[in-house]
Amino acid sequence: MRFRTQAVAYPYFVVALLLYGLQMVFGLLSVAKYLGPDPLIHLLPFDVSKAIHTNLLIVWVLTGFMGAAYWLVPEESRTELHSPTMAYAALGLWTLAGVTAVVGYLFGWTAGNKLLEQPLPVKLAIVVVMLMFLYNLGMTIWKAKRLTTTEGVLMAGLAFTAILYLPSLLEFDNYTVAIFYRWWTVHLWVEGVWEMIQGALLAYLLIRLSGIDREVMEKWLYVIVGLTFISGLLGTAHHYYFVGVPSYWLPLGGFFSALEPLVFVAMSAYAYQAIRRSGLSHPNTLALHWTLGSAIFSALGAGLLGLAHTWPSVNRWTHGTLITPMHGHSAFFGAYVMIVLAVITYATPALMGHDESQRETRTGLWAFWLQVGGMFGMTMAFAAAGIGQVYLERVLGMGYLETQAKIQVHFLMLVATGTLFTAGVALFLWDFFFLAPRQRTHVEPAAAAARMPA
Amino acid sequence: MTKRHTRLFFVVGTSVFAAIFLGLTIHSHMRFGELTHAEAITPQVIAGKHVWHRKNCINCHTLLGEGAYYAPDLTKITQQRGEAYLRLFLRDPSRFYSEQRHGRVMPNMKLSDEQITDVIAFLTWVSNIDNQGWPPRPIVVSAALPDATAANAATAASGDPVALGEAVFRRSPPACFSCHSTTAGTVLVGPSMAGIATRAATLIADSSYKGAARSAPDYIRESILNPSAYVVPGPTFGAGGQSVMPPLGALLKPEEVEQLVAYLATFK
Repeated sequence: MRFRTQAVAYPYFVVALLLYGLQMVFGLLSVAKYLGPDPLIHLLPFDVSKAIHTNLLIVWVLTGFMGAAYWLVPEESRTELHSPTMAYAALGLWTLAGVTAVVGYLFGWTAGNKLLEQPLPVKLAIVVVMLMFLYNLGMTIWKAKRLTTTEGVLMAGLAFTAILYLPSLLEFDNYTVAIFYRWWTVHLWVEGVWEMIQGALLAYLLIRLSGIDREVMEKWLYVIVGLTFISGLLGTAHHYYFVGVPSYWLPLGGFFSALEPLVFVAMSAYAYQAIRRSGLSHPNTLALHWTLGSAIFSALGAGLLGLAHTWPSVNRWTHGTLITPMHGHSAFFGAYVMIVLAVITYATPALMGHDESQRETRTGLWAFWLQVGGMFGMTMAFAAAGIGQVYLERVLGMGYLETQAKIQVHFLMLVATGTLFTAGVALFLWDFFFLAPRQRTHVEPAAAAARMPA
Repeated sequence: MTKRHTRLFFVVGTSVFAAIFLGLTIHSHMRFGELTHAEAITPQVIAGKHVWHRKNCINCHTLLGEGAYYAPDLTKITQQRGEAYLRLFLRDPSRFYSEQRHGRVMPNMKLSDEQITDVIAFLTWVSNIDNQGWPPRPIVVSAALPDATAANAATAASGDPVALGEAVFRRSPPACFSCHSTTAGTVLVGPSMAGIATRAATLIADSSYKGAARSAPDYIRESILNPSAYVVPGPTFGAGGQSVMPPLGALLKPEEVEQLVAYLATFK
């Protein structure tokens, strides 16, 4: 840790990981409900457990992004953070808003808009936190008079994340118009500005882990974010299939979605190049695993599996089936979960003040492979269930309920692989909270002084 | 290629495509009214949309194919089930489905009668949105696979009224098949059509029958056009002398009604 105030990142990582663990609880609860009689139907029906599962994902990934930014910006701008107090206050408000939303869902307090279920007061609190965050880091960069491309792209991604959240504050009487703008938030986040964030974090990590020349990485970073928007902006069209918008969105969606995997192919190529030049010699092997894993898994989940059903004539049959969560789970995991875990894994040794070459990696590697393997299995289970559903229900015309009964075995697979995945998450948390500090071998006085306030 | 070139690629590429995206957004706005029949968005439809959101329906169901995947798509549900059925269903879903038999059941959302009317108005409006003819074939809540003869229904070009009637039976709307099976003993929502002609002949001779039909085809026609003329006793068939089936006269041309009658009259 080169700057004392980078320590602000630590409590963000703590909150992010705790929410990640909680997300697993609600994920497992939700999938269990696919297996038949649900003993909790009156206490915690599927709609509630599922909304909490997806909302926790968004909240913890954003918490991770913010933590990563607090870690990265002082280092890139070579200065201390403008106001650590403000960063802690923002985290407090953010956590309060997140917890309020989750508890609210349990009691039926919801805006009932998929992924944007947060009731208006919670949404406003989120906007305030985002403004505090952007102000704090903006001032940091302003005072340092130094802005690298990597942090510029990261900050632009985070600023647009805040701006694109604003349409979700509006209400439309026309449901189709509401769908149209809902995707401005959801799609332009995950297939637009969040990819900027992923690209920037990937660039930062590859520069640090491989020692590759910054100029080369930042040159290609522009290509990656350029491709992201060229394909991703009009790629929004693949969410406009069959919802009551003009039909020209169909061919547009087909064409530009087909370009979207290019971004992820470029990211993989990027990682490959960096590693090829320098080898896998960095002592933080765990961070290397997560960084390369993110580049590769997002090419599979976000790139190829998205492409699998974005062609309009295919989507006509797969629209609204379990094919969507097949892509959704693997895409979110590869692109965003893995990159946040990569930053956390990279920063933890420095935050805890221990030497990463001395680190015990067995637990961390189990955490990595169980999550990767579990998610791969879940993706396959969703794919098999989805293909079965499309064939029986959509093509042959069997009823929804009869079809769901016929594909039960894939839900069993989902429970099994989801359990493996959760075990991986549990090990990651165990490693982060209990193992890392114990391996402290050497503490610099400055770093020790910077250890976490609480 | 230098960093300056790639930055230019990013800035220009993003700006150009953002401009196209905004242009198409403006154009789409000019078409939304016509494609969604915006003039039909009454205060009741808006109230129904609020019910839809407040009750978090989208986190189990899909609508226009969007939502969660735990419960059936509702895009065309009002065309398939009709208002009387949906009203009865929403009052108490467990009357129609059981977790033991169907694996899943909708919890009772405890909607008031007004909320039920509103949400049905909302779903009716949604069912009329011009969405490029999706779904390509009807998605139904519960139906066994059509049998082999049904698969031939598409080849009803022969002009044979029975084959044409079968095509109407399998079409949505009216989506007869989503409530009536053609297999003996399989009750989806309404009575099975197996043996309907024979049963009708017995029924019209019975003193409990108060309708106007004098023959089996007459009875079938009457049931299509005026379902409440005689309600077959059954837990999900109707309540208080009111059938859950919507009268289909407005949905079908007179010759289609005759084709349906011809088809159903073959179930002896």
